[in-house]
Amino acid sequence: MMNGSLRWLRRTALRVVPVVTGVVLATFFLLRLVPGGPAAAALGDQATNEAVAALEAQMGLDQPLMTQLWSYVSGIVTRGDVGTSLLYGTPTSELIAGRVGVTLSVVALAVLLTLVLVVPLAFAAALHKDGVVDHLIRVVPAIGLAMPTFWIGLLLIMVFAVNLGWLPAGGSGDGVRSLILPAVAIAISMTPVLVRTLRAQLLEVLDADFVATLTAAGLARGRVLVHVLRNAALPTLTLFGLNIAYMIGGTLVIERVFALNGLGALMFESISNRDFPVVQGVALFCAVAVVAVTVATDFLVDRLDPRSRLS
Amino acid sequence: MTAGSAVETAEDVTRGSAPLWRRMARTPAFVAGTVITVSVILAALLAPVLATHDPAAQNLLGGLQGPSGEHWLGTDQLGRDIFSRLLFAARTDLRIAGLAVIIPFVIGVVAGTTSGYFGGFFDWVVSRVVDTVVAFPFYVIVVAVVFAVGAGEKGIYVALALVGWVTYARVLRATTAVHARSGWVTAARGGGLSHARIIGRHILPNTLTQAIVLLMNDIVFVIVAVVTLSYLGLGVQPPTADWGTMISDGQAFVATKWWLSVVPGAAVVYTGIGLSLLGDGVADVWRVE
Amino acid sequence: MLLSRSALLPIWHPRGPALLCAAPTEGSTDVTLTSACTSTKTIRRTGVAVLTAGVFVLSGCTSSSTPEREGTAADTTATTAAPTPGGTLTFARTQSPTSLDLHTEITANNAFAIDKIFEPLLSFNAQGEIEPWLASEYSPSEDGLVWTFTLRPGVRFSTGDLVTPEDVVYSLNRHIEVGGPLPLDAPITSIEASGTDTVVITLSEPYTPFIAELAGFSNGILPADLGGVDEATFFKNPVGTGPFVVDEWTEGGDISFTKNVNYWQDGKPYLDELVYKLVQDDNQLVAQLQSRQVDVIDSVASANVATLEGNSSLTVSTTPSWVVEEIFFNTLDEHFADRDVRRAVSYALDREGIVAATSFGTAEVAGSVLPPSVPGYDATIDSLSYDLAGAKASIAASAYPDGFSTKLLVASGNTLRAQEAQIVQAQLAEIGITVEIESIDLAAFRERFRAFDYSFMINSATSDVADPNGIVSFQADPEGGTNGYWTHYNNPEVTALIAQGRTLPDGAERTAVYSEIQATIAGDAPFIPLSYPSNIKASQATVQGLTVLPNGSVRLQDTWLTK
Repeated sequence: MMNGSLRWLRRTALRVVPVVTGVVLATFFLLRLVPGGPAAAALGDQATNEAVAALEAQMGLDQPLMTQLWSYVSGIVTRGDVGTSLLYGTPTSELIAGRVGVTLSVVALAVLLTLVLVVPLAFAAALHKDGVVDHLIRVVPAIGLAMPTFWIGLLLIMVFAVNLGWLPAGGSGDGVRSLILPAVAIAISMTPVLVRTLRAQLLEVLDADFVATLTAAGLARGRVLVHVLRNAALPTLTLFGLNIAYMIGGTLVIERVFALNGLGALMFESISNRDFPVVQGVALFCAVAVVAVTVATDFLVDRLDPRSRLS
Repeated sequence: MTAGSAVETAEDVTRGSAPLWRRMARTPAFVAGTVITVSVILAALLAPVLATHDPAAQNLLGGLQGPSGEHWLGTDQLGRDIFSRLLFAARTDLRIAGLAVIIPFVIGVVAGTTSGYFGGFFDWVVSRVVDTVVAFPFYVIVVAVVFAVGAGEKGIYVALALVGWVTYARVLRATTAVHARSGWVTAARGGGLSHARIIGRHILPNTLTQAIVLLMNDIVFVIVAVVTLSYLGLGVQPPTADWGTMISDGQAFVATKWWLSVVPGAAVVYTGIGLSLLGDGVADVWRVE
Repeated sequence: MLLSRSALLPIWHPRGPALLCAAPTEGSTDVTLTSACTSTKTIRRTGVAVLTAGVFVLSGCTSSSTPEREGTAADTTATTAAPTPGGTLTFARTQSPTSLDLHTEITANNAFAIDKIFEPLLSFNAQGEIEPWLASEYSPSEDGLVWTFTLRPGVRFSTGDLVTPEDVVYSLNRHIEVGGPLPLDAPITSIEASGTDTVVITLSEPYTPFIAELAGFSNGILPADLGGVDEATFFKNPVGTGPFVVDEWTEGGDISFTKNVNYWQDGKPYLDELVYKLVQDDNQLVAQLQSRQVDVIDSVASANVATLEGNSSLTVSTTPSWVVEEIFFNTLDEHFADRDVRRAVSYALDREGIVAATSFGTAEVAGSVLPPSVPGYDATIDSLSYDLAGAKASIAASAYPDGFSTKLLVASGNTLRAQEAQIVQAQLAEIGITVEIESIDLAAFRERFRAFDYSFMINSATSDVADPNGIVSFQADPEGGTNGYWTHYNNPEVTALIAQGRTLPDGAERTAVYSEIQATIAGDAPFIPLSYPSNIKASQATVQGLTVLPNGSVRLQDTWLTK
């Protein structure tokens, strides 16, 4: 047991460390390739060159690139400090902490909605394989796949906020109510792919020997379904784990459509302002979150593997 | 993302014995997808013939007209004919999506196959790079790349190439690894066959089918991504007609002239449905091979 | 050295343009937004635009009086309803403040939060006229070198402490020391406190724009030595004389203010609380106003005006701004170095058409480098307006009679600019100039023009002061700090006139100098003014007394909410 955990830990570290390093280095250099600097961005069109140069020096951007990289990396390693915003002068971690709540709430609500949509649909499709229901469930959500998420968002705003006035058009001032439309938009865009994949995986489970055995053993259809459900939990979990990165990405765009002041808004704004430390911080945060979810999923799947339990 | 089912039902088996074109004809998704996709491609190819106006011709005092006999879908803010722009936009978006989907496909297939085949350190490196790209928020890369190379087609290609190859690499790596570890590859190596020959003649033909099915699905994502980028002002730049910029240009008038944004949006959805049905259809038809 | 309103995001907000709707309300005599006056569509300026006198001609509204306003006036002469105190106003803005240090900031997101907290000795009203503010009186010596300011009695900081001459000396000295993006350009030799209520400022030579510059937000008054705390602490929780005090400030998010109970204007501010809500998207601004989530929206895109005007529970205000939308030429560029080429471009552009297609009646066609809302504006100059034959003649006379290919630089993500660029492209094709539109993100755009790495571009210029010197120095004086807004325009004749305009006292002679400057610049065409956009704000009909200033800010101490 102890041995197993250690091995798991080592394997995880071997996976996580290179990814995090890769993300840190990639953001650092990617951003430096982008033309335009934070000082000119902060001072607007009409500032003189002297004013811009003075602000750049104050931001430490007149230092050689390698010096900047070194102070950034050593800050992370020795102090866990991901830098200070060039624009706000506050620690990046504080800015992220102030924004992350909105983003996580949207993601959580979207995951929940997606689960509620995907699981029954996939089951219905799998149980009626090649029937009318199956085709319908496969084709209709395909419309969702073909709709850009921002477009779904716009339609939702037009109908439910502006015309019907049921829900807020945007912003996060209205608690859960203001998160519903963004979460629905993400759920609609995620559902088609997930329904298809889960359907395929359910078909595999349904086809697995143990189902045949159970059915042959004369178990009631309902009882068999419970077994299938239990076994389908795993692929569902894996599927969501794999798609969480995509979902976070989708959230960043949808935040913009709904004017949610979350991580996505912070990121777009920081890229535009060339607020390097903040973009690096957000990218790092997202990467760590995605890796953490993946590792956690792997871990759970490892523990819950039905094959090990069945034997 | 559509995981192939390994099992074949009785019906599949009977279908499997039919010639390819008959199986295609009997797969409703394939037929519907083909019809829709071909109609979009035709509209794009024949745009210069079908268009009623020069898509770039402005009429500053005739902007934002409603649909009429002269302008079937009305005019935009600069008085340009929307119907004609819609057709020319199909050209732009299909061309860009087509190119943007091929580049990552090639990179992904090469990276996935080699890493799956050779394994070892190279495989470890590729896998970590894949992990890194997956862990990276997609739009950080895209926005940064577009800012670096400039908004426009070039930016789209570079950005989507950087991100898109990962899916192919993952799948190809897994399937190639299975084949590479099989007994007959060892035997073939012993028999003096070169790596290139083994990969080219014996592994790729087995793995490529799945990659192409992936590509068919991917193209829907790509077309949506291209439109999204243009909507965000990071993609196709004026005066080139494109669905994303048409949607965003029309957004301000949505309360009074809803069609300005809804019509190009519907064109995206129509194209997307066609491509995604076609992708499904291809998967269905090939699953039995 | 002007206040850039296109502050931080690449999505620059197309600010449509033009006219004023004044309805005198309740004794608050500034241009005030009321629902009575939404029908101010296209108001064409007639010949002599009356703006030099500081009075606007209004053709859309019948009521157009703009009586003189007393700085201290409490709104007591209400004809309809007296202002009701209380309530919270949610003001949606597209950018959040990044810093409240009045001496280091320039962009609108910061400036229009700072000007609610700190106030200068003098201010300007909705017509851009200078008026006494924290100083109740001011007068120059006969030679124009020594200026004496008398502090208004009883003005207190939000802490309750009285404002002293020492506070004024400290504030202005700090500004001179910091310099910053909006430096005090006046040739000041000394700033002295005298007695309990007097400040004397001495100049080394006459400098007429002095008063107008002092009225800028960056000359606000803060407590001497920042009240004894360090800068970081002070500017997180600043103390000023303004109508509002920072309550809660989420960096990169919303900022809320409470009323300054010690405010010097009796009974004001009416509002108990003010929230600047960050809404980063034009269409979201409109949607949130329509769904009543916010009370006022800032910088409305001209394209959205029709939608908003169609809604009877909303009020749209379009007032004159200090902004000029312009084409700028890099006069070092091989083609645009040729004056005839630039003149040909000017003749080839149908500005009426551009304004019609992009501003939806909210902007005016531009001719001069000065906007009509700045004193000294001359509507009679020859602005080389649309004349295709003239354009062809000019290009034929140039070094490139057969035309050429060039690139037009614009910032991406800005719908208005994208539309304008496409029109310019189409119209220049008529005279054989093939234009490729190059859209790049705003920060990269700025880097490009700062490096003179462009041929021509579309951008806007904004005056910060109610004096013509500001904008002409910035755009046409090679010593102005920006090399003629990165056009590298240098006409010694104009430079000399600009220097003269700074020292001439206000009057006919000075006005004549600025007319000559405007005419010469228009003839040289280093930039082509396209349009004069309006400040466009929209609000719920319940919002009253929204006084919009020509720099785009709003005097919220005058604002109240009906139930």
